[in-house]
Amino acid sequence: MTMAGYDRSRLRKVRLYGVLLALLGVMMLPFYTMFSSTLKPENEIFSAPATLVPSDPTIQAYLDVWTQTDVLLWIANSFVISLGTVALTLALAIPAAYSCARNDFVGKRTFLLSVLVVQMFAPVVLIVGLFDVITQFGLFNTYLAVIIPAAAFTLPFNVWMLYGYFKTIPVALEESARIDGASQFQILTKIVLPLTKPALVASITYTFLYAWNRLLFVLTFLTDSAKYNVPRGVFSMVGALQTDWRMMLTVSVIGIVPLLILFAFLEEYIVAGMTAGAVKE
Amino acid sequence: MSLAEEYTDTTDASRLERGLAYFQRNSRAYLLIAPTALFLLAVVGYPILETFRLSLYQSPADSNIETFVGLQHYAEIVTSDIFYQLLWQTGRWVVVGVAGKTVMGLLIAVHLKGDIRGRKFFRTAFLIPWGIPYAISAVVFRWIEHPQFGFLNAILLKLGLIEQGIGILGNPDIAWLGVVVADIWIGTPFMAIIFLAGLQSIPQELYEAAAIDGAERWHQFCYITLPQLKSVILIATLLSTIWTFVSFDTIWTMTGGGPLSTTATLVIHIYQVGLQNGNLGRGAAYSVVGFLFLFVFAIIYLRVYTRGGDEL
Repeated sequence: MTMAGYDRSRLRKVRLYGVLLALLGVMMLPFYTMFSSTLKPENEIFSAPATLVPSDPTIQAYLDVWTQTDVLLWIANSFVISLGTVALTLALAIPAAYSCARNDFVGKRTFLLSVLVVQMFAPVVLIVGLFDVITQFGLFNTYLAVIIPAAAFTLPFNVWMLYGYFKTIPVALEESARIDGASQFQILTKIVLPLTKPALVASITYTFLYAWNRLLFVLTFLTDSAKYNVPRGVFSMVGALQTDWRMMLTVSVIGIVPLLILFAFLEEYIVAGMTAGAVKE
Repeated sequence: MSLAEEYTDTTDASRLERGLAYFQRNSRAYLLIAPTALFLLAVVGYPILETFRLSLYQSPADSNIETFVGLQHYAEIVTSDIFYQLLWQTGRWVVVGVAGKTVMGLLIAVHLKGDIRGRKFFRTAFLIPWGIPYAISAVVFRWIEHPQFGFLNAILLKLGLIEQGIGILGNPDIAWLGVVVADIWIGTPFMAIIFLAGLQSIPQELYEAAAIDGAERWHQFCYITLPQLKSVILIATLLSTIWTFVSFDTIWTMTGGGPLSTTATLVIHIYQVGLQNGNLGRGAAYSVVGFLFLFVFAIIYLRVYTRGGDEL
Protein backbone atom coordinates (compact mmCIF):
# COMPACT_ATOMS: atom_id res chain seq x y z
CA MET A 1 0.00 0.00 0.00
CA THR A 2 1.34 3.43 -0.87
CA MET A 3 1.81 6.07 1.78
CA ALA A 4 -1.04 8.15 0.34
CA GLY A 5 -3.30 5.10 0.20
CA TYR A 6 -2.50 4.29 3.79
CA ASP A 7 -3.31 7.83 4.88
CA ARG A 8 -6.54 7.80 2.93
CA SER A 9 -7.76 4.55 4.49
CA ARG A 10 -6.85 5.84 7.93
CA LEU A 11 -8.70 9.06 7.28
CA ARG A 12 -11.68 7.05 6.15
CA LYS A 13 -11.58 5.03 9.36
CA VAL A 14 -11.40 8.12 11.51
CA ARG A 15 -14.33 9.59 9.64
CA LEU A 16 -16.33 6.35 9.96
CA TYR A 17 -15.84 6.11 13.71
CA GLY A 18 -16.42 9.83 14.05
CA VAL A 19 -19.82 9.57 12.37
CA LEU A 20 -20.70 6.42 14.32
CA LEU A 21 -19.86 8.01 17.63
CA ALA A 22 -21.79 11.14 16.72
CA LEU A 23 -24.84 9.03 15.81
CA LEU A 24 -24.44 7.04 19.00
CA GLY A 25 -24.25 10.29 20.94
CA VAL A 26 -27.51 11.50 19.43
CA MET A 27 -29.26 8.21 20.17
CA MET A 28 -27.89 8.01 23.71
CA LEU A 29 -28.57 11.63 24.67
CA PRO A 30 -32.05 10.92 26.09
CA PHE A 31 -30.59 8.20 28.32
CA TYR A 32 -27.87 10.56 29.45
CA THR A 33 -30.43 13.26 30.28
CA MET A 34 -32.55 10.81 32.19
CA PHE A 35 -29.69 9.29 34.13
CA SER A 36 -27.80 12.50 34.89
CA SER A 37 -31.00 14.15 36.15
CA THR A 38 -31.55 11.36 38.67
CA LEU A 39 -28.09 12.02 40.10
CA LYS A 40 -28.80 15.68 40.77
CA PRO A 41 -29.99 16.90 44.15
CA GLU A 42 -33.57 18.15 44.13
CA ASN A 43 -32.73 21.85 43.88
CA GLU A 44 -30.42 21.25 40.94
CA ILE A 45 -32.95 19.29 38.87
CA PHE A 46 -35.28 22.24 39.13
CA SER A 47 -32.84 24.94 38.17
CA ALA A 48 -33.01 26.78 34.88
CA PRO A 49 -31.27 26.43 32.54
CA ALA A 50 -30.48 22.76 33.14
CA THR A 51 -26.92 21.86 34.08
CA LEU A 52 -25.41 19.44 31.59
CA VAL A 53 -23.35 17.64 34.25
CA PRO A 54 -24.56 17.14 37.85
CA SER A 55 -22.44 19.47 39.94
CA ASP A 56 -22.86 17.49 43.13
CA PRO A 57 -23.91 13.90 42.23
CA THR A 58 -26.01 12.03 44.77
CA ILE A 59 -27.89 8.73 44.78
CA GLN A 60 -30.54 10.12 47.11
CA ALA A 61 -33.24 9.74 44.45
CA TYR A 62 -32.56 6.01 44.28
CA LEU A 63 -32.95 5.73 48.04
CA ASP A 64 -36.18 7.75 48.05
CA VAL A 65 -37.83 5.93 45.15
CA TRP A 66 -38.53 2.70 47.07
CA THR A 67 -40.47 4.46 49.79
CA GLN A 68 -42.14 7.16 47.68
CA THR A 69 -43.33 5.11 44.70
CA ASP A 70 -44.63 1.62 43.92
CA VAL A 71 -41.82 0.81 41.52
CA LEU A 72 -41.25 -2.72 42.85
CA LEU A 73 -44.93 -3.54 42.57
CA TRP A 74 -45.01 -2.24 38.99
CA ILE A 75 -42.00 -4.34 38.04
CA ALA A 76 -43.57 -7.43 39.62
CA ASN A 77 -46.81 -6.77 37.71
CA SER A 78 -44.87 -6.33 34.49
CA PHE A 79 -43.32 -9.76 35.07
CA VAL A 80 -46.72 -11.35 35.71
CA ILE A 81 -48.16 -9.81 32.55
CA SER A 82 -45.12 -10.56 30.37
CA LEU A 83 -44.66 -14.15 31.51
CA GLY A 84 -48.39 -14.81 31.23
CA THR A 85 -48.41 -13.48 27.69
CA VAL A 86 -45.37 -15.58 26.74
CA ALA A 87 -46.96 -18.74 28.14
CA LEU A 88 -50.30 -18.19 26.41
CA THR A 89 -48.73 -17.18 23.10
CA LEU A 90 -46.39 -20.16 22.94
CA ALA A 91 -49.11 -22.62 23.97
CA LEU A 92 -51.14 -21.45 20.99
CA ALA A 93 -48.39 -20.73 18.47
CA ILE A 94 -46.28 -23.90 18.73
CA PRO A 95 -49.02 -26.40 17.77
CA ALA A 96 -50.38 -24.14 15.03
CA ALA A 97 -46.98 -23.43 13.50
CA TYR A 98 -45.99 -27.09 13.70
CA SER A 99 -49.20 -28.19 12.04
CA CYS A 100 -48.70 -25.77 9.16
CA ALA A 101 -45.07 -26.72 8.69
CA ARG A 102 -45.69 -30.47 8.61
CA ASN A 103 -49.03 -30.80 6.85
CA ASP A 104 -50.58 -29.65 3.64
CA PHE A 105 -54.26 -29.03 4.07
CA VAL A 106 -57.06 -27.02 2.59
CA GLY A 107 -57.28 -23.66 4.33
CA LYS A 108 -53.65 -23.50 5.42
CA ARG A 109 -52.86 -20.57 3.17
CA THR A 110 -55.99 -18.76 4.33
CA PHE A 111 -55.11 -19.43 7.95
CA LEU A 112 -51.54 -18.16 7.63
CA LEU A 113 -52.55 -15.05 5.71
CA SER A 114 -55.37 -14.26 8.14
CA VAL A 115 -52.89 -14.49 10.97
CA LEU A 116 -50.67 -12.03 9.12
CA VAL A 117 -53.60 -9.66 8.71
CA VAL A 118 -54.14 -9.67 12.49
CA GLN A 119 -50.70 -8.15 12.83
CA MET A 120 -51.92 -5.32 10.65
CA PHE A 121 -54.94 -4.83 12.89
CA ALA A 122 -53.27 -2.69 15.49
CA PRO A 123 -54.83 -2.91 18.95
CA VAL A 124 -55.67 0.77 19.15
CA VAL A 125 -58.19 0.71 16.28
CA LEU A 126 -59.81 -2.28 17.96
CA ILE A 127 -59.74 -0.84 21.44
CA VAL A 128 -63.38 0.27 21.50
CA GLY A 129 -64.60 -3.15 20.36
CA LEU A 130 -62.17 -4.89 22.69
CA PHE A 131 -63.36 -2.79 25.60
CA ASP A 132 -66.89 -4.02 24.98
CA VAL A 133 -65.75 -7.64 24.73
CA ILE A 134 -63.50 -7.53 27.81
CA THR A 135 -66.36 -6.06 29.85
CA GLN A 136 -68.86 -8.61 28.51
CA PHE A 137 -66.62 -11.49 29.57
CA GLY A 138 -66.14 -9.98 33.02
CA LEU A 139 -62.39 -9.70 32.56
CA PHE A 140 -62.16 -6.01 33.37
CA ASN A 141 -59.52 -5.29 36.03
CA THR A 142 -57.92 -8.74 35.82
CA TYR A 143 -54.44 -9.53 34.52
CA LEU A 144 -56.13 -11.60 31.81
CA ALA A 145 -57.67 -8.42 30.39
CA VAL A 146 -54.13 -7.40 29.45
CA ILE A 147 -52.60 -10.82 28.75
CA ILE A 148 -55.29 -11.96 26.30
CA PRO A 149 -55.10 -8.98 23.91
CA ALA A 150 -51.30 -8.91 24.15
CA ALA A 151 -51.17 -12.61 23.22
CA ALA A 152 -53.52 -12.03 20.29
CA PHE A 153 -51.28 -9.35 18.84
CA THR A 154 -48.02 -11.24 19.37
CA LEU A 155 -49.41 -14.49 17.94
CA PRO A 156 -48.93 -13.55 14.27
CA PHE A 157 -45.23 -12.94 14.68
CA ASN A 158 -44.79 -16.12 16.71
CA VAL A 159 -46.76 -18.35 14.35
CA TRP A 160 -44.85 -17.11 11.32
CA MET A 161 -41.46 -17.20 12.99
CA LEU A 162 -41.90 -20.75 14.30
CA TYR A 163 -43.57 -21.94 11.10
CA GLY A 164 -40.58 -20.81 9.07
CA TYR A 165 -38.19 -22.46 11.50
CA PHE A 166 -40.05 -25.78 11.80
CA LYS A 167 -39.93 -26.10 8.03
CA THR A 168 -36.14 -26.15 8.12
CA ILE A 169 -36.02 -29.17 10.46
CA PRO A 170 -35.70 -32.37 8.38
CA VAL A 171 -38.73 -34.66 8.54
CA ALA A 172 -36.33 -37.62 8.43
CA LEU A 173 -35.30 -36.86 12.03
CA GLU A 174 -38.88 -37.22 13.18
CA GLU A 175 -39.49 -40.33 11.14
CA SER A 176 -36.53 -42.17 12.58
CA ALA A 177 -37.71 -41.23 16.08
CA ARG A 178 -41.16 -42.55 15.24
CA ILE A 179 -39.64 -45.84 14.12
CA ASP A 180 -37.88 -45.99 17.47
CA GLY A 181 -41.30 -45.81 19.07
CA ALA A 182 -41.49 -42.16 20.16
CA SER A 183 -44.96 -40.65 20.48
CA GLN A 184 -45.94 -37.49 18.62
CA PHE A 185 -45.67 -35.50 21.85
CA GLN A 186 -42.21 -36.90 22.58
CA ILE A 187 -41.06 -36.08 19.07
CA LEU A 188 -42.18 -32.49 19.54
CA THR A 189 -40.72 -31.97 23.01
CA LYS A 190 -37.56 -34.09 22.72
CA ILE A 191 -36.50 -33.52 19.13
CA VAL A 192 -38.23 -30.64 17.39
CA LEU A 193 -38.35 -28.01 20.15
CA PRO A 194 -34.70 -28.36 21.23
CA LEU A 195 -33.69 -27.84 17.60
CA THR A 196 -35.96 -24.80 17.45
CA LYS A 197 -34.20 -23.08 20.34
CA PRO A 198 -32.99 -19.98 18.45
CA ALA A 199 -36.47 -19.30 17.08
CA LEU A 200 -38.03 -19.97 20.48
CA VAL A 201 -35.67 -17.56 22.22
CA ALA A 202 -36.46 -14.90 19.61
CA SER A 203 -40.19 -15.53 20.03
CA ILE A 204 -40.05 -15.39 23.80
CA THR A 205 -37.93 -12.22 23.80
CA TYR A 206 -40.20 -10.45 21.32
CA THR A 207 -43.36 -11.42 23.19
CA PHE A 208 -41.87 -10.56 26.57
CA LEU A 209 -40.79 -7.11 25.38
CA TYR A 210 -44.12 -6.45 23.70
CA ALA A 211 -46.07 -7.23 26.84
CA TRP A 212 -43.62 -5.42 29.10
CA ASN A 213 -43.74 -2.20 27.10
CA ARG A 214 -47.39 -1.67 26.28
CA LEU A 215 -49.34 1.05 28.01
CA LEU A 216 -52.59 0.90 26.04
CA PHE A 217 -54.13 -2.33 27.40
CA VAL A 218 -53.27 -1.57 31.01
CA LEU A 219 -54.50 2.00 30.63
CA THR A 220 -57.81 0.79 29.24
CA PHE A 221 -58.55 -2.47 31.05
CA LEU A 222 -56.98 -2.05 34.49
CA THR A 223 -58.18 0.70 36.79
CA ASP A 224 -56.88 -1.04 39.91
CA SER A 225 -53.55 0.66 40.61
CA ALA A 226 -52.27 -2.45 42.43
CA LYS A 227 -52.08 -4.14 39.01
CA TYR A 228 -50.22 -1.37 37.13
CA ASN A 229 -47.17 -2.34 35.07
CA VAL A 230 -44.07 -0.18 34.62
CA PRO A 231 -45.31 2.01 31.72
CA ARG A 232 -48.66 2.56 33.44
CA GLY A 233 -46.90 3.37 36.68
CA VAL A 234 -44.70 5.94 34.98
CA PHE A 235 -47.73 7.37 33.22
CA SER A 236 -49.61 7.64 36.51
CA MET A 237 -46.83 9.91 37.77
CA VAL A 238 -47.50 12.47 35.06
CA GLY A 239 -49.52 14.99 36.99
CA ALA A 240 -52.04 17.36 35.50
CA LEU A 241 -50.49 20.32 37.28
CA GLN A 242 -47.44 19.09 39.12
CA THR A 243 -45.16 16.25 38.06
CA ASP A 244 -42.55 14.80 40.38
CA TRP A 245 -39.87 14.65 37.70
CA ARG A 246 -37.19 13.47 40.05
CA MET A 247 -39.11 10.36 41.12
CA MET A 248 -40.52 9.74 37.66
CA LEU A 249 -37.10 9.74 35.98
CA THR A 250 -35.68 7.51 38.71
CA VAL A 251 -38.50 5.01 38.22
CA SER A 252 -37.83 5.16 34.47
CA VAL A 253 -34.17 4.30 34.96
CA ILE A 254 -35.02 1.41 37.27
CA GLY A 255 -37.81 0.28 34.95
CA ILE A 256 -35.48 -0.20 32.00
CA VAL A 257 -32.75 -2.08 33.90
CA PRO A 258 -34.38 -5.51 33.37
CA LEU A 259 -34.60 -4.71 29.66
CA LEU A 260 -30.96 -3.64 29.44
CA ILE A 261 -29.94 -6.96 30.99
CA LEU A 262 -32.15 -8.79 28.51
CA PHE A 263 -30.57 -6.85 25.65
CA ALA A 264 -27.03 -7.53 26.74
CA PHE A 265 -27.60 -11.28 26.71
CA LEU A 266 -30.11 -11.72 23.91
CA GLU A 267 -29.10 -9.07 21.40
CA GLU A 268 -28.57 -11.63 18.62
CA TYR A 269 -31.98 -13.20 19.15
CA ILE A 270 -33.72 -9.84 19.27
CA VAL A 271 -32.11 -8.88 15.98
CA ALA A 272 -33.02 -12.27 14.49
CA GLY A 273 -36.59 -11.76 15.58
CA MET A 274 -36.83 -8.22 14.23
CA THR A 275 -35.45 -9.19 10.85
CA ALA A 276 -37.48 -12.38 10.56
CA GLY A 277 -40.62 -10.36 10.97
CA ALA A 278 -39.94 -8.13 8.01
CA VAL A 279 -37.36 -9.34 5.53
CA LYS A 280 -37.36 -12.53 3.56
CA GLU A 281 -34.16 -14.36 2.90
CA MET B 1 -85.62 -38.70 -11.77
CA SER B 2 -83.71 -37.96 -14.93
CA LEU B 3 -80.33 -39.29 -15.56
CA ALA B 4 -78.81 -35.85 -15.23
CA GLU B 5 -80.36 -35.24 -11.79
CA GLU B 6 -79.24 -38.58 -10.57
CA TYR B 7 -75.76 -37.76 -11.76
CA THR B 8 -75.67 -34.47 -9.86
CA ASP B 9 -77.11 -36.14 -6.80
CA THR B 10 -74.39 -38.74 -6.53
CA THR B 11 -71.60 -36.23 -6.98
CA ASP B 12 -73.06 -34.11 -4.21
CA ALA B 13 -73.14 -37.04 -1.85
CA SER B 14 -69.70 -38.19 -2.75
CA ARG B 15 -68.37 -34.65 -2.47
CA LEU B 16 -69.63 -34.50 1.08
CA GLU B 17 -68.20 -37.93 1.78
CA ARG B 18 -64.92 -37.01 0.22
CA GLY B 19 -64.87 -33.84 2.26
CA LEU B 20 -65.47 -35.74 5.50
CA ALA B 21 -62.85 -38.31 4.62
CA TYR B 22 -60.41 -35.52 3.84
CA PHE B 23 -61.13 -33.85 7.13
CA GLN B 24 -60.66 -37.13 9.01
CA ARG B 25 -57.34 -37.77 7.32
CA ASN B 26 -56.16 -34.30 8.29
CA SER B 27 -57.97 -34.07 11.61
CA ARG B 28 -54.77 -33.71 13.58
CA ALA B 29 -53.57 -30.84 11.42
CA TYR B 30 -56.87 -29.01 11.90
CA LEU B 31 -56.98 -29.80 15.59
CA LEU B 32 -53.59 -28.21 16.14
CA ILE B 33 -54.48 -24.93 14.46
CA ALA B 34 -57.97 -24.82 15.99
CA PRO B 35 -57.03 -23.19 19.34
CA THR B 36 -55.16 -20.38 17.61
CA ALA B 37 -57.89 -19.90 15.05
CA LEU B 38 -60.63 -19.82 17.70
CA PHE B 39 -58.61 -17.55 19.98
CA LEU B 40 -58.00 -15.02 17.21
CA LEU B 41 -61.63 -15.19 16.15
CA ALA B 42 -62.70 -14.42 19.72
CA VAL B 43 -60.14 -11.73 20.53
CA VAL B 44 -59.75 -10.04 17.14
CA GLY B 45 -62.55 -11.23 14.86
CA TYR B 46 -65.39 -10.69 17.29
CA PRO B 47 -64.26 -7.21 18.39
CA ILE B 48 -64.08 -6.24 14.71
CA LEU B 49 -67.72 -7.23 14.26
CA GLU B 50 -68.59 -5.59 17.56
CA THR B 51 -66.92 -2.38 16.40
CA PHE B 52 -69.00 -2.37 13.20
CA ARG B 53 -72.18 -3.02 15.17
CA LEU B 54 -71.39 -0.37 17.79
CA SER B 55 -70.71 2.21 15.10
CA LEU B 56 -74.40 2.09 14.20
CA TYR B 57 -75.54 2.84 17.74
CA GLN B 58 -75.53 5.68 20.17
CA SER B 59 -73.88 3.88 23.06
CA PRO B 60 -72.45 5.43 26.21
CA ALA B 61 -69.79 3.29 27.88
CA ASP B 62 -71.31 3.64 31.33
CA SER B 63 -74.77 2.29 30.55
CA ASN B 64 -76.48 -0.56 28.76
CA ILE B 65 -78.78 1.65 26.75
CA GLU B 66 -78.12 1.52 23.05
CA THR B 67 -80.06 3.47 20.48
CA PHE B 68 -79.85 2.52 16.84
CA VAL B 69 -78.81 5.53 14.80
CA GLY B 70 -77.77 3.91 11.51
CA LEU B 71 -75.10 5.75 9.61
CA GLN B 72 -75.53 8.97 11.56
CA HIS B 73 -72.04 8.79 13.14
CA TYR B 74 -70.41 8.41 9.75
CA ALA B 75 -72.41 11.27 8.27
CA GLU B 76 -71.44 13.51 11.16
CA ILE B 77 -67.79 12.49 10.93
CA VAL B 78 -67.33 13.24 7.24
CA THR B 79 -69.08 16.59 7.55
CA SER B 80 -67.09 17.72 10.59
CA ASP B 81 -64.04 19.96 10.41
CA ILE B 82 -62.21 17.97 13.07
CA PHE B 83 -62.13 14.92 10.76
CA TYR B 84 -60.17 16.75 8.07
CA GLN B 85 -57.92 18.32 10.65
CA LEU B 86 -57.22 14.80 11.97
CA LEU B 87 -56.46 13.46 8.49
CA TRP B 88 -54.02 16.29 7.88
CA GLN B 89 -52.37 15.83 11.28
CA THR B 90 -52.17 12.06 10.87
CA GLY B 91 -50.70 12.46 7.40
CA ARG B 92 -47.92 14.81 8.45
CA TRP B 93 -47.23 12.71 11.53
CA VAL B 94 -46.79 9.57 9.39
CA VAL B 95 -44.86 11.18 6.52
CA VAL B 96 -42.40 13.13 8.66
CA GLY B 97 -42.01 10.29 11.16
CA VAL B 98 -41.39 7.55 8.59
CA ALA B 99 -39.06 9.75 6.56
CA GLY B 100 -37.05 10.59 9.67
CA LYS B 101 -36.79 6.95 10.75
CA THR B 102 -35.79 5.83 7.26
CA VAL B 103 -33.03 8.43 6.87
CA MET B 104 -31.66 7.90 10.38
CA GLY B 105 -31.88 4.12 9.99
CA LEU B 106 -30.02 4.20 6.67
CA LEU B 107 -27.36 6.49 8.10
CA ILE B 108 -26.71 4.12 11.01
CA ALA B 109 -26.87 0.95 8.89
CA VAL B 110 -24.45 2.22 6.25
CA HIS B 111 -21.90 3.09 8.92
CA LEU B 112 -22.32 -0.20 10.76
CA LYS B 113 -22.04 -2.31 7.63
CA GLY B 114 -18.26 -2.61 7.36
CA ASP B 115 -15.90 -4.71 9.38
CA ILE B 116 -15.72 -2.35 12.32
CA ARG B 117 -14.42 -2.89 15.80
CA GLY B 118 -17.01 -3.03 18.56
CA ARG B 119 -19.79 -3.88 16.14
CA LYS B 120 -21.80 -5.87 18.68
CA PHE B 121 -21.57 -3.00 21.15
CA PHE B 122 -22.76 -0.45 18.59
CA ARG B 123 -25.54 -2.71 17.38
CA THR B 124 -26.82 -3.33 20.92
CA ALA B 125 -26.57 0.35 21.84
CA PHE B 126 -28.46 1.47 18.75
CA LEU B 127 -31.13 -1.15 19.44
CA ILE B 128 -31.99 -0.07 22.97
CA PRO B 129 -34.40 2.81 22.19
CA TRP B 130 -36.63 0.33 20.35
CA GLY B 131 -36.85 -2.01 23.30
CA ILE B 132 -37.82 0.27 26.16
CA PRO B 133 -41.44 1.21 26.90
CA TYR B 134 -42.73 4.03 24.69
CA ALA B 135 -44.24 5.62 27.77
CA ILE B 136 -40.77 5.91 29.30
CA SER B 137 -39.22 7.37 26.12
CA ALA B 138 -42.12 9.78 26.02
CA VAL B 139 -41.63 11.09 29.56
CA VAL B 140 -37.90 11.43 28.95
CA PHE B 141 -38.55 13.52 25.83
CA ARG B 142 -41.07 15.55 27.80
CA TRP B 143 -38.32 16.22 30.28
CA ILE B 144 -35.80 17.11 27.56
CA GLU B 145 -38.30 19.55 26.07
CA HIS B 146 -39.35 20.98 29.42
CA PRO B 147 -39.74 24.78 29.02
CA GLN B 148 -37.75 25.67 32.14
CA PHE B 149 -35.59 22.74 33.21
CA GLY B 150 -35.09 20.88 29.92
CA PHE B 151 -31.80 19.99 28.25
CA LEU B 152 -32.92 21.19 24.85
CA ASN B 153 -33.48 24.71 26.07
CA ALA B 154 -30.23 24.64 28.01
CA ILE B 155 -28.33 23.70 24.84
CA LEU B 156 -30.13 26.22 22.66
CA LEU B 157 -29.49 28.94 25.24
CA LYS B 158 -25.84 28.00 25.46
CA LEU B 159 -25.51 28.18 21.67
CA GLY B 160 -27.19 31.57 21.75
CA LEU B 161 -29.97 30.43 19.41
CA ILE B 162 -32.74 31.52 21.76
CA GLU B 163 -32.89 34.13 24.47
CA GLN B 164 -35.33 32.47 26.82
CA GLY B 165 -36.73 28.99 27.28
CA ILE B 166 -39.46 27.88 24.89
CA GLY B 167 -42.21 25.40 25.69
CA ILE B 168 -42.40 23.24 22.60
CA LEU B 169 -45.12 20.88 23.76
CA GLY B 170 -47.34 23.74 24.90
CA ASN B 171 -47.14 25.56 21.60
CA PRO B 172 -49.90 24.55 19.14
CA ASP B 173 -47.69 25.39 16.15
CA ILE B 174 -44.72 23.18 16.99
CA ALA B 175 -45.94 20.69 19.60
CA TRP B 176 -46.35 17.95 16.95
CA LEU B 177 -42.69 18.33 15.99
CA GLY B 178 -41.72 17.85 19.62
CA VAL B 179 -43.59 14.52 19.60
CA VAL B 180 -42.34 13.46 16.16
CA VAL B 181 -38.76 13.73 17.36
CA ALA B 182 -39.46 11.20 20.11
CA ASP B 183 -41.24 8.92 17.65
CA ILE B 184 -38.32 9.04 15.22
CA TRP B 185 -35.94 8.22 18.05
CA ILE B 186 -38.07 5.21 19.01
CA GLY B 187 -38.54 3.93 15.45
CA THR B 188 -35.00 4.38 14.11
CA PRO B 189 -33.47 1.18 15.56
CA PHE B 190 -35.92 -1.08 13.74
CA MET B 191 -35.08 0.57 10.43
CA ALA B 192 -31.35 0.42 11.13
CA ILE B 193 -31.42 -3.31 11.90
CA ILE B 194 -33.57 -4.18 8.89
CA PHE B 195 -31.38 -2.09 6.56
CA LEU B 196 -28.25 -3.62 8.05
CA ALA B 197 -29.57 -7.10 7.28
CA GLY B 198 -30.40 -5.95 3.75
CA LEU B 199 -26.99 -4.35 3.24
CA GLN B 200 -25.22 -7.54 4.20
CA SER B 201 -26.91 -9.44 1.39
CA ILE B 202 -25.54 -7.08 -1.28
CA PRO B 203 -22.63 -8.84 -3.08
CA GLN B 204 -19.35 -7.17 -2.14
CA GLU B 205 -18.07 -7.58 -5.72
CA LEU B 206 -20.42 -4.84 -6.88
CA TYR B 207 -18.61 -2.35 -4.68
CA GLU B 208 -15.18 -3.65 -5.63
CA ALA B 209 -15.94 -3.32 -9.32
CA ALA B 210 -17.28 0.18 -8.78
CA ALA B 211 -14.21 1.15 -6.77
CA ILE B 212 -11.95 -0.01 -9.60
CA ASP B 213 -13.99 2.12 -11.98
CA GLY B 214 -13.26 5.00 -9.62
CA ALA B 215 -16.83 5.56 -8.40
CA GLU B 216 -17.09 7.92 -5.46
CA ARG B 217 -18.68 6.61 -2.25
CA TRP B 218 -21.71 8.78 -2.74
CA HIS B 219 -22.17 7.40 -6.24
CA GLN B 220 -21.76 3.86 -4.93
CA PHE B 221 -24.52 4.60 -2.45
CA CYS B 222 -26.85 6.00 -5.10
CA TYR B 223 -26.19 3.45 -7.85
CA ILE B 224 -25.52 0.25 -5.88
CA THR B 225 -26.79 0.46 -2.31
CA LEU B 226 -30.15 2.15 -2.90
CA PRO B 227 -31.25 0.04 -5.91
CA GLN B 228 -30.15 -3.19 -4.21
CA LEU B 229 -31.98 -2.24 -1.03
CA LYS B 230 -35.15 -1.24 -2.84
CA SER B 231 -37.37 -4.11 -1.73
CA VAL B 232 -36.06 -4.05 1.85
CA ILE B 233 -36.72 -0.31 2.04
CA LEU B 234 -40.19 -0.83 0.65
CA ILE B 235 -41.10 -3.49 3.22
CA ALA B 236 -39.54 -1.58 6.12
CA THR B 237 -41.18 1.76 5.30
CA LEU B 238 -44.53 0.02 4.79
CA LEU B 239 -44.36 -1.64 8.19
CA SER B 240 -43.15 1.61 9.70
CA THR B 241 -46.03 3.49 8.09
CA ILE B 242 -48.52 1.12 9.68
CA TRP B 243 -46.88 1.34 13.10
CA THR B 244 -46.57 5.11 12.96
CA PHE B 245 -50.19 5.42 11.86
CA VAL B 246 -51.40 3.46 14.89
CA SER B 247 -48.83 4.76 17.38
CA PHE B 248 -50.60 5.62 20.60
CA ASP B 249 -48.43 5.42 23.74
CA THR B 250 -45.95 8.14 22.73
CA ILE B 251 -48.45 10.84 21.80
CA TRP B 252 -50.74 9.98 24.67
CA THR B 253 -47.96 10.23 27.24
CA MET B 254 -46.36 13.36 25.80
CA THR B 255 -49.36 15.57 25.07
CA GLY B 256 -52.57 13.53 25.32
CA GLY B 257 -53.36 14.93 21.88
CA GLY B 258 -53.07 18.59 22.95
CA PRO B 259 -52.52 21.51 22.89
CA LEU B 260 -55.79 22.38 21.15
CA SER B 261 -55.83 18.86 19.64
CA THR B 262 -52.89 19.74 17.38
CA THR B 263 -50.95 16.55 18.15
CA ALA B 264 -54.00 14.29 17.92
CA THR B 265 -54.02 11.68 15.17
CA LEU B 266 -56.91 9.51 14.07
CA VAL B 267 -56.15 6.80 16.64
CA ILE B 268 -55.72 9.32 19.45
CA HIS B 269 -59.15 10.68 18.56
CA ILE B 270 -60.61 7.15 18.61
CA TYR B 271 -59.40 6.81 22.18
CA GLN B 272 -60.54 10.25 23.27
CA VAL B 273 -64.03 9.94 21.84
CA GLY B 274 -64.64 6.24 22.48
CA LEU B 275 -63.06 5.62 25.85
CA GLN B 276 -62.20 8.93 27.48
CA ASN B 277 -65.51 10.62 26.66
CA GLY B 278 -67.32 7.29 26.74
CA ASN B 279 -69.06 7.67 23.39
CA LEU B 280 -68.52 4.08 22.26
CA GLY B 281 -70.65 4.43 19.13
CA ARG B 282 -68.80 7.45 17.76
CA GLY B 283 -65.45 5.95 18.76
CA ALA B 284 -66.37 2.76 16.93
CA ALA B 285 -67.27 4.72 13.81
CA TYR B 286 -63.85 6.41 13.91
CA SER B 287 -62.30 2.96 14.38
CA VAL B 288 -63.99 1.75 11.21
CA VAL B 289 -62.40 4.68 9.38
CA GLY B 290 -59.09 3.54 10.88
CA PHE B 291 -59.80 -0.02 9.62
CA LEU B 292 -60.18 1.32 6.09
CA PHE B 293 -56.73 2.87 6.19
CA LEU B 294 -55.18 -0.26 7.69
CA PHE B 295 -56.99 -2.37 5.13
CA VAL B 296 -55.33 -0.46 2.31
CA PHE B 297 -51.91 -0.69 3.99
CA ALA B 298 -52.46 -4.42 4.61
CA ILE B 299 -53.31 -5.13 0.99
CA ILE B 300 -50.19 -3.37 -0.22
CA TYR B 301 -48.10 -5.14 2.42
CA LEU B 302 -49.47 -8.60 1.59
CA ARG B 303 -48.90 -7.93 -2.10
CA VAL B 304 -45.27 -7.02 -1.54
CA TYR B 305 -44.72 -9.75 1.04
CA THR B 306 -46.13 -12.61 -1.00
CA ARG B 307 -44.71 -11.44 -4.31
CA GLY B 308 -43.54 -14.54 -6.13
CA GLY B 309 -46.09 -16.60 -4.20
CA ASP B 310 -43.58 -19.24 -3.10
CA GLU B 311 -43.72 -18.46 0.61
CA LEU B 312 -46.42 -20.84 1.69
